[in-house]
Amino acid sequence: MTHSLYRRGSVESLQNDFVILITPAVNINHKNSKSKLIEILDFIKELGPVNIGSYDCGNIFTGATIEKIQQTLSETPRVRCVFDSYEKVKRLVKELKEREYGYSVTVSGLIDDVMMMSKELDIKPHSVNLSIGIHGRVEKLPEEGNLNLITMCGHGMVSASLVKMVVERVNKGVWDLDRAAKEIAKPCHCGIFNVERAKKLLQQNISR
Amino acid sequence: MLIEKDSCSGCGLCLWYCPGGAISLKDKKAEIDKELCLECYVCLKVTDCPKGAIKEDPMAYEFPRSVRTYFSDPMAYHKDTLVPGRGTEEVKTNDVTNRVKDGEVGVCIEMGRPCCGSSFTDVEKVTMALAGAGIKFEQENPLTYLMEDKEKGTIKEDVKKQRVVSAIVEFTISQSELKRIVSKIQEIEKELDTVFSLGMITTLEEDGSIPIKETLDELGLEYRPNAKINLGLGRRIS
Repeated sequence: MTHSLYRRGSVESLQNDFVILITPAVNINHKNSKSKLIEILDFIKELGPVNIGSYDCGNIFTGATIEKIQQTLSETPRVRCVFDSYEKVKRLVKELKEREYGYSVTVSGLIDDVMMMSKELDIKPHSVNLSIGIHGRVEKLPEEGNLNLITMCGHGMVSASLVKMVVERVNKGVWDLDRAAKEIAKPCHCGIFNVERAKKLLQQNISR
Repeated sequence: MLIEKDSCSGCGLCLWYCPGGAISLKDKKAEIDKELCLECYVCLKVTDCPKGAIKEDPMAYEFPRSVRTYFSDPMAYHKDTLVPGRGTEEVKTNDVTNRVKDGEVGVCIEMGRPCCGSSFTDVEKVTMALAGAGIKFEQENPLTYLMEDKEKGTIKEDVKKQRVVSAIVEFTISQSELKRIVSKIQEIEKELDTVFSLGMITTLEEDGSIPIKETLDELGLEYRPNAKINLGLGRRIS
């Protein structure tokens, strides 16, 4: 599933938004991968992601912790998280490369940034999943400003009505940016909703 | 999903969270439209219903309604593929699986994404058109399991009535076929009552360049500046 691929927004708004997935391949190298992913999660905890989650216990804004995620990893485990810092992602990827786990790692972010990071770490990326946009009955979509927030949950769990309600509350001064961003983040179970980016997008909405 | 009318206080909180727009207030009580409900479980798992009035539908894991659950709730695992979510591992493990090889393009048409959801009637319009163009669908994708006839791209009759948050039509073609298949997709999109997000996977050249860039330019298709990149750190365990 391409849940981290279709984030919308300007290049500027996508800077410092990196989704990391670490995926042992089912029936190829997933067996006995749990202990290694627990080790990787320890390092991720040290770095401090903006958000992290799992299908088994939700994200940090619905009560999940990295310890809980470690305890509830499934037999076909995956790590999914989001960072708002190029340097943190670089440190994580460097560590993953040096420890030679052999699990697949994808970084979703601005192509130029991910390629630059790879070059700096002497990594040759293998493949790319490109987003070629939205097609069909596009007139049914909510306005672009709200869509930029909605598409940070790639599984479509963030509803257009939730974002509309939150934006209205922020505009009226009922909720501050932090409260609003965390509320929208809740339905994104796998924790790739970047609340720091959401705050900036909400701020832009107010300015408009 | 179900809402126990007797318990519901009519606060309307759940209305905001429902991605399918299936919940409304009637006589000061929340009510779920079963046709619009996608069985995504957001109302149950995320909305903090003050009265605990939201309940699981006992039919949510019974076929054919279970199709809604498996394709809408990412927390539901497909028992056949062991892969969570609505698709496959696609680019995530391509360095290990070699699912999309040099000279090929993996195509993902995610029906209903974003925001609109999709019926399988719309999904079938796409799969039938592509099957007619000679496409072989990705065997491991859960959508392929719902086909009546994979050669024709037809979907099982009782599944067609179901609606989901999204479903991914997934297949691999050679790069030389890309123009022909894209024009087929552009032809069929006019007949749809929903949106779809289009994704394409390729391996990267030695210098990191994207081999289908020129073809996409010729087709007038732009790719977004952000993408999902497999760093090539995976390896097979012998």
